[in-house]
Amino acid sequence: MNDPTALSDITFCPELSFEEKVIRVLNFQLKENPVYRTFYETLIGQKQPPEDILEIPLLPIRAFSVRKIVAGTLDTKSTPLIFKSSGTSGSRRSTHVVADPALYERSVVKEFYRHFPSDQYTLISALPGYRDNPNSSLVHMIRHLIQQDPLSRMILQFDPEVLQGIEKIAAAGKKWILFGAAFGLLDLIEQGLPEFSTPPEIIETGGMKTYRREISKGDLRNRLSEAFQISSKYVHSEYGMCELLSQMYAIGSEWFGAPPWVQVTIRNPDNPMELCEPGTEGKIGIIDLANIYSCPFILTDDRGVMREDGKFRVLGRWNQDDLRGCNFLIDRD
Amino acid sequence: MAFSERHIENIARALTTWFDKENRELSRAIEQTVDENLFSLEDIKHQILSLKHTISKETLKKWVADSHVETISREDKNVLCLHAGNVPLVGIQDLIAVLLRNGTYIGKLSRKDPYLMASLLRHLAGHGLVEEDLWSVTPESLKPVRADALLFAGSEQSAGPVKEKLTQLGLIGEDTPSLMRTAGFSMAYIEDESSETYQDLTEAIFRYGGAGCRSVAIVVSPFPLRKVQCGFTDYIESFWLANPPHHKVSESVPYRFALNKALGIDQAWLDHFLMEESGEISGEKHIVHWIQGDLDRVEEIIRKMGSRLQSVYSTADYIGRRVGERIIEPLSLAQMPPIWWKPDNLNTLVWLKDHGI
Repeated sequence: MNDPTALSDITFCPELSFEEKVIRVLNFQLKENPVYRTFYETLIGQKQPPEDILEIPLLPIRAFSVRKIVAGTLDTKSTPLIFKSSGTSGSRRSTHVVADPALYERSVVKEFYRHFPSDQYTLISALPGYRDNPNSSLVHMIRHLIQQDPLSRMILQFDPEVLQGIEKIAAAGKKWILFGAAFGLLDLIEQGLPEFSTPPEIIETGGMKTYRREISKGDLRNRLSEAFQISSKYVHSEYGMCELLSQMYAIGSEWFGAPPWVQVTIRNPDNPMELCEPGTEGKIGIIDLANIYSCPFILTDDRGVMREDGKFRVLGRWNQDDLRGCNFLIDRD
Repeated sequence: MAFSERHIENIARALTTWFDKENRELSRAIEQTVDENLFSLEDIKHQILSLKHTISKETLKKWVADSHVETISREDKNVLCLHAGNVPLVGIQDLIAVLLRNGTYIGKLSRKDPYLMASLLRHLAGHGLVEEDLWSVTPESLKPVRADALLFAGSEQSAGPVKEKLTQLGLIGEDTPSLMRTAGFSMAYIEDESSETYQDLTEAIFRYGGAGCRSVAIVVSPFPLRKVQCGFTDYIESFWLANPPHHKVSESVPYRFALNKALGIDQAWLDHFLMEESGEISGEKHIVHWIQGDLDRVEEIIRKMGSRLQSVYSTADYIGRRVGERIIEPLSLAQMPPIWWKPDNLNTLVWLKDHGI
């Protein structure tokens, strides 16, 4: 497995266990990713790879906003696919060089169709804000999914043509799924929704701070459910980011599950080598084997909590200021 | 009702007698606090000396006069003060402000500081300035007296749960006015490499383990970190010798050190703190950001940090100068502020008066 090109097959390889894949990818990273290697060796020395993959240090996500995180040598003959974060949080934008777009697209399609099989669902997407970011990973993902189905499309509003399209989807015996940024979906509701021939299922994604005021996930789900007149079990969420080449979905609830090539853990923000117990809030840590050629070992800045069954909730951004100064809750001082 | 000079003098007398070195109650409170490892002896001594230095009838009168709050309400008003934080006698300024406004003080004391503040309150009760049974370490044990105003420091995220809990306990109502302070750290601009500046900067950064909102977490200077690192380290070592560190360094700091090294970010490991040359402010404990830049950069950071930033300090040439929305304060007073300093840029006396206290 020393040949980096062969690594692309590892991510979805059914013959290897997740742990075996992780150790192989770790060895590749330590050899070919100078940023991760220095981080790893500074933190835990040059000892042999840990026996338990939970002991592998996760690279804080801000690395992507400071350096290009690349493992191996990029193919200089072709223009690489580059994802950039929106930068809405005021910090520097992250850049993710996608050395193997085909691997990324397999990851997108495999996980999406695992939940929404292509013979049952057609995707309609509303991502008004994101269209201004030509390097948006979300837009790239949606475009790729749309290319797989001639009935799929991106929309800005529910005009008569879109409504006709929805009727065609129903005539083809399929359900339609509306995939949109949370604030974009709320804008559609504010514009006034038409009467649909068939109700949609919904996938919402993205933070809620850009939408004039903050709204909780629960309130958002209720509003979507009421406005589209569907049960909340048909309101789903997607969790992804430009630094990750895999996505996670919460089906009919706020609890996300990971694809088989991804492991999610909740880490103690004061010591990210430590796992939080189920029910305890911490930073979301991710091993994403689709990130082979950048870095699969990622410590996000997102606040999360996990259940005993491994499903997790995303609670927003981790705010370090909560731990500094006089900023304490009553029962934490 | 006109403000009584005698009222201020009574408060000043009560406070200064508590600070008296012959006060055995205070000595006992210090011993208990140190024995239980709540604060270091050096930090307690520093805080007490600082308060002793800044509290007098003259300074209290000046605070009242400069705040234009010479009149006080005739009505009895209850003010609930939540003391929370990592500094000994945290929230003492709120307590004094309530006394000056002739309000009835109710206190939820910090779990980290149960002895010093309680000792002071017992002493003040002896002077008839506070009521014996109106403070506690837990909100549940507070006598259910409805407050007319609430003073506390906390993050914006914590404000909701705090208010909710106090409302459930009947200590405040839905519409009780609340003064919430959310700043987490301060910034210094230094332009010279004098011994005095480095000593003041060291004190401003490392006192109280860098955990107070007046503690400097961002240094802006025309010099890069690597130029000053060696000289500065000497001052830091002297500080640690005189003030052995009380805090345990968070495991997230070595983590950040490893990341900085991997990313090629200049940094200095200062035994108990990490100083890094990076403009991305983390807000993490025990991290100090060194940013090469001028006053324009200071202004940019003030704008970017908004309410997260408490104070901006500098040396003689810049003290009193307005930068953005801030007036530059003396670096030497970072950990020894005058009694009238404004947490979150708000004068507590004025706020109380504006809310009928």
